[in-house]
Amino acid sequence: MNSLTAAQLEAYLDEALPAEVMAAIEQELRAQSALVVRLAQLNAQRDAGLHTLGAIWRRWRLTCPGRQELGNYLLGVLPQDVAQYVAFHIDQVGCRTCRANLDDLKRQQRESTQEAVARRRRYFQSSAGRLVKR
Amino acid sequence: MSEPPDSDRLLIDRVRTGDNDAWQELIDRYEGRLLAFVENRLGKRDADDVVQETLVGFLTSLPNYDASRSLESYLFSIAAHKLTDQLRRDGRRPALSLTAADGESERDLPAAQRRVSSVAQSGERLAMEAAALAQAMSDILDRWREQKDFVKIKCQELLLVQGLPNKDVAKELSLTEQQVANQKFEFLARLRTAVKRQGLSEDVFPELYE
Repeated sequence: MNSLTAAQLEAYLDEALPAEVMAAIEQELRAQSALVVRLAQLNAQRDAGLHTLGAIWRRWRLTCPGRQELGNYLLGVLPQDVAQYVAFHIDQVGCRTCRANLDDLKRQQRESTQEAVARRRRYFQSSAGRLVKR
Repeated sequence: MSEPPDSDRLLIDRVRTGDNDAWQELIDRYEGRLLAFVENRLGKRDADDVVQETLVGFLTSLPNYDASRSLESYLFSIAAHKLTDQLRRDGRRPALSLTAADGESERDLPAAQRRVSSVAQSGERLAMEAAALAQAMSDILDRWREQKDFVKIKCQELLLVQGLPNKDVAKELSLTEQQVANQKFEFLARLRTAVKRQGLSEDVFPELYE
């Protein structure tokens, strides 16, 4: 874990790394104060108003494929070079939001409509009370 | 760059009027990806709770939502906050004093960085600076994408988003270290030009002037 770069640690602060990497960092944080110090320094830089290009790239999702492109990736109908890039972005860079979109699309393929409708209705009932005319 | 499609803008307009059907439609459109985002970090029941909190959080913050921002990105950012809260409650995400509010960590910053912090920067200014840099990077990346030059995109993504050193990027992409260094130099030079053209402070983008 000492090999984590500053860019990756900053992504940790934003809950943006792959789940297994997030969990490994959390475990490391409990045991290693040096990592705590590195994170504190990164946070201080943010508080001081400094930007990093990686964080801007990630937050503005400059290279995230659109939902439709991810669907086409799943169907295997993207041109080879584009498909290779999507795989790189998700698997190698570890884009957490694109991974979530891809997992969701896969779930849609196997989940019954009934299950999805029930879950969505539950979300509606637990939140609609906050819906107000503005 | 990720911008909201017109269908999202129209949906938000309807949600703002208190339209139940629009709210259900927004949930139908986005809950699955939000659930997928949180459920690989939490058990199913907790993941469900976090998605519910995210949706309530969205409605609560709706008066402050900037419609020019991607709705999906906004929802993911709320979900990340709610997820972090849940992980802290579970004791999984260590509750560390990570902010500079106590003045401890800021002492470790180089002088130039302390100088920046001494100038109270508003949230609007930070957002404007980030948006300007995002646009400058996006312009370059879009051109490379049109040219199908994915190696250049991958090179910058590994350097900046992953923070890998030149030699690792070179090995990953079967380039020479010199080629990686040249591409990095060219990319940063274009961004420096954009910063200068827009009259932004050089001090807040330290990577550009290392």
